[in-house]
Amino acid sequence: MADERKTVEVPLDARRFAALADAYGSALHRWPPAEQAAAMLFAKTDEGRAILAGAARLDAILGRHSVEAPSPTLHGAIVARAATEVRQERRRRFWWLGFGLAGVGLAGAVAGLALVTVVNPDIQSDHYAMDTNATSFGDAGPEADPYEEDL
Amino acid sequence: MGADTDEELVRRIGTGDAAAVQAMVARKLPRVLALATRMLGDAAEAEDVAQETFVRIWRHASGWRQGHARFDTWIHRVALNLCYDRLRRRREWTTDELPEVADEAPLPDAMPGDEGRRVSQALQRIAPRQREAIVLVYYQELSNIEAASAMQVSVDALESLLARGRRSLQAMLVGDDGDD
Repeated sequence: MADERKTVEVPLDARRFAALADAYGSALHRWPPAEQAAAMLFAKTDEGRAILAGAARLDAILGRHSVEAPSPTLHGAIVARAATEVRQERRRRFWWLGFGLAGVGLAGAVAGLALVTVVNPDIQSDHYAMDTNATSFGDAGPEADPYEEDL
Repeated sequence: MGADTDEELVRRIGTGDAAAVQAMVARKLPRVLALATRMLGDAAEAEDVAQETFVRIWRHASGWRQGHARFDTWIHRVALNLCYDRLRRRREWTTDELPEVADEAPLPDAMPGDEGRRVSQALQRIAPRQREAIVLVYYQELSNIEAASAMQVSVDALESLLARGRRSLQAMLVGDDGDD
């Protein structure tokens, strides 16, 4: 592992050891895993022991702060709300899924209409070319200039 | 492992499994409550934050997808955001700039049995981001990478916050505590 190589190849010096103790305290299990092995080695030195002893004083004091366990009332209130919230969220997701499917269907219909329009535009044309020579029975004068008349 | 079990519980909660709900509350409520209590220094507000955190868990359960963060880290992020909402409401700070410690004077000696309260006061007197770092690493036992992820900072930034926070706490708590 890269971290293990780093641990072996880059042993901690006193400065780095002190910086880590300043940040993480005296308990080496809280230190970055990649530096714990080297830290354990340095911790056996006089300098290492002195640095950890200084950090341990603050750790001991911080350890005096405890938080009371959650009350059964709080536990019960949270559990009671779970069923409602999960059910509502699932319903919400169901509706969004429905809207999504409807949206996909609508998009498909629009795309289909657009495709038909592009492929065969004459089908839904709202104007036609009228030849001055055209009759109900066909074109009576092939040499005449046609013009378009919009309806 | 625990992390896998968290995700499995979330999946079961999403299907309406009542036993999974009980298991999740039993497992996570003490951690969330402890986090909020130490961040806010107020038990009643911490209970509110815990309840709101679980409401978000229930709402996300049916659609939970594991991204980069573990579920436990995600819960911490949610709870911390709720804590910061409350801290902002208290107007602990008025700009984006995180405040430095206002007063590092040593706290009065605690009466026997009251040391915890002294620590709580000291935690409330350091900058919130420093407090957050210390609470996550020291009390919540998150790894440096998990804590940095929950705080959305680099590991180097986390170490800086930890060191500055501990130095402030040291001045307040250990300065006159040489007999410890």
